[in-house]
Amino acid sequence: MSIKLGFTKSSIAFAVALLSLNMTVQAGAVYDYIKSNNELMIATDANWAPYSYINDAGEMEGFDVDVGREIAKRMGVEARFITPSWDIITSGNWNMRWDVSVGSMTPTETRSEVLNFPAVYYYTPAGFAVHTDSPITTLAGLNGKNVCTTAASTWEMYLEGSLDMIDAPAFTYKVTPGTITSLADGHTCLDDTRLGAGVRNDGIIDSIPMIQGAIEDGYPIRFLGDPAFFEPLSVATDKGNDDPELDAEIARIIAAMKKDYTLTMMSMKWFKNADGSSNDYTIAF
Amino acid sequence: MFVDTVIEDKSLHKPAFLLGLSITVLAFFFAFNFTNTIFGEFLSPVIGNPQESGFFGRLVVSFVLSIIFVLNLLLISFARLKIQIFIVWIELFFLFLAFAYSFDLELAYIFIGEPSKIWLMISKGLFTTIYISAVSIAIATAIAIVGAIAKLSNNGFAYAIASFYTSLFRGLPLLLQIYLIYMGLPQLGFMIDAIPSGIAALSLCYGAYMTEIFRAGIQSIPKGQWEASRALGFKFGLILRKIILPQSIPIIVPPTGNQFIAMLKDSSLVSVLGIWELMFMAKKIGSKDFNNLEMLLTAAMIYWALTIILEMIQARIERKYQQKA
Repeated sequence: MSIKLGFTKSSIAFAVALLSLNMTVQAGAVYDYIKSNNELMIATDANWAPYSYINDAGEMEGFDVDVGREIAKRMGVEARFITPSWDIITSGNWNMRWDVSVGSMTPTETRSEVLNFPAVYYYTPAGFAVHTDSPITTLAGLNGKNVCTTAASTWEMYLEGSLDMIDAPAFTYKVTPGTITSLADGHTCLDDTRLGAGVRNDGIIDSIPMIQGAIEDGYPIRFLGDPAFFEPLSVATDKGNDDPELDAEIARIIAAMKKDYTLTMMSMKWFKNADGSSNDYTIAF
Repeated sequence: MFVDTVIEDKSLHKPAFLLGLSITVLAFFFAFNFTNTIFGEFLSPVIGNPQESGFFGRLVVSFVLSIIFVLNLLLISFARLKIQIFIVWIELFFLFLAFAYSFDLELAYIFIGEPSKIWLMISKGLFTTIYISAVSIAIATAIAIVGAIAKLSNNGFAYAIASFYTSLFRGLPLLLQIYLIYMGLPQLGFMIDAIPSGIAALSLCYGAYMTEIFRAGIQSIPKGQWEASRALGFKFGLILRKIILPQSIPIIVPPTGNQFIAMLKDSSLVSVLGIWELMFMAKKIGSKDFNNLEMLLTAAMIYWALTIILEMIQARIERKYQQKA
């Protein structure tokens, strides 16, 4: 018995052609696309002062934004920023929605399955903080307690004991929390901590400049112990649209920016301590 | 509740009811200890330090609060209906403000800066929110008409497709649909950007709900109307346009208006895709200075104002159709 399909052969052929057309557009040559479009699309989270955030004029600003602009400038194209949520950036498969992530991403084994990390551009310390009234005084005091952090972050991996950073300075797991509260927006952790010691969490782990900013803004929190670990932070590109030419170009630009101290200047500009002194995070400690 | 002219005495003016109400309110205020709030401080000349006033303080505070509450009700009950409604609205609004104020927020933050934060939110976020909602509403309406006709048809394919569609899109959380469309479609080779993905998810989800509303509206017209029209020789399209839809629209409009309002608010979910709409701006603007709640409250007020406008439009449309009917 022969079955006659209602669809004509041509419509199926058309659908197949449509799919393959899209595939061919996607395959490689991201760098050529950037050049011909005269625009570098940079993904970065807009929630992380002083790395990248929306300033009072409603525009993107911060260390990552400056680095992104400089990379675009040295490529000879315009920079354009888009602000997807962090988990969408780290999950890869960007499909050329954006070309690079200049968003302080730590290269990890897990992430490198979907993303390429052509160049580390600086290192940042991560640390723990607790409410000022908290009875906890040492990192060991957080063992078995409820620690809050951003979902899909290296801090979360650290708490889980599964931090698989690539080319990172050596570190040890100093805290084994009882509960990990992972929130899509790490800022909510700080707001939760503000409610009081042990109300919604017993402590947080976050990047030290971020916690520093919260303390300067009057949050009743204090640092706990020394920095937990230093994480290398890299530009990321999409493995799904592998383009060695783009990766090589980014590596070249970052190396040049390190050599002429552009990165150092940017780091000194954005990462200040409470006493007004600046930090050069372009070298690992 | 009864639309007639039998007027009963107000229950508030019956002593027994008043007494019962006072006791209930007193018990309520006593159960939720208000001693450590601003009311306790206010009454500190009587009860001393609120923290140490104990049972006596708690009783005094709840007694005073319940007296104020019942007196307020009693006074309002003497006013005319319109004035009653007005006063109660104003009072509830001020209670809400007091509630927000008690968060210990830096409310001035909303208005500082050049441009001010609230203007930043309106200028950068409001337009996108309205634009996304309006486009999605238009597409959802179109989907709903087609879907409703398909669900009512005798064509097996059409019915199956339409019922599968409504089942699937009413059965998945909207947030999940947004992620599925944004991250899933590119895997098939169809690259769509954040805003089209958001619009697609909103239209498909609300199209499914509205399909059911439209179907119910069309079905509510008695079968006899169809039969009579056919007997007169009208064609399907003409019957639907000229006879059935004009009668079902007054039934469809109120629930559809509710869907529009719900969609306007649900458009905030597309903020996860990094679209600079109201919710996104609210979350990000405040985060730089760690004033998150202030901006969220601002966004709440803007959404509320928008829905009030939509409600007014809906009431107008309803009145218009009622006059026609």
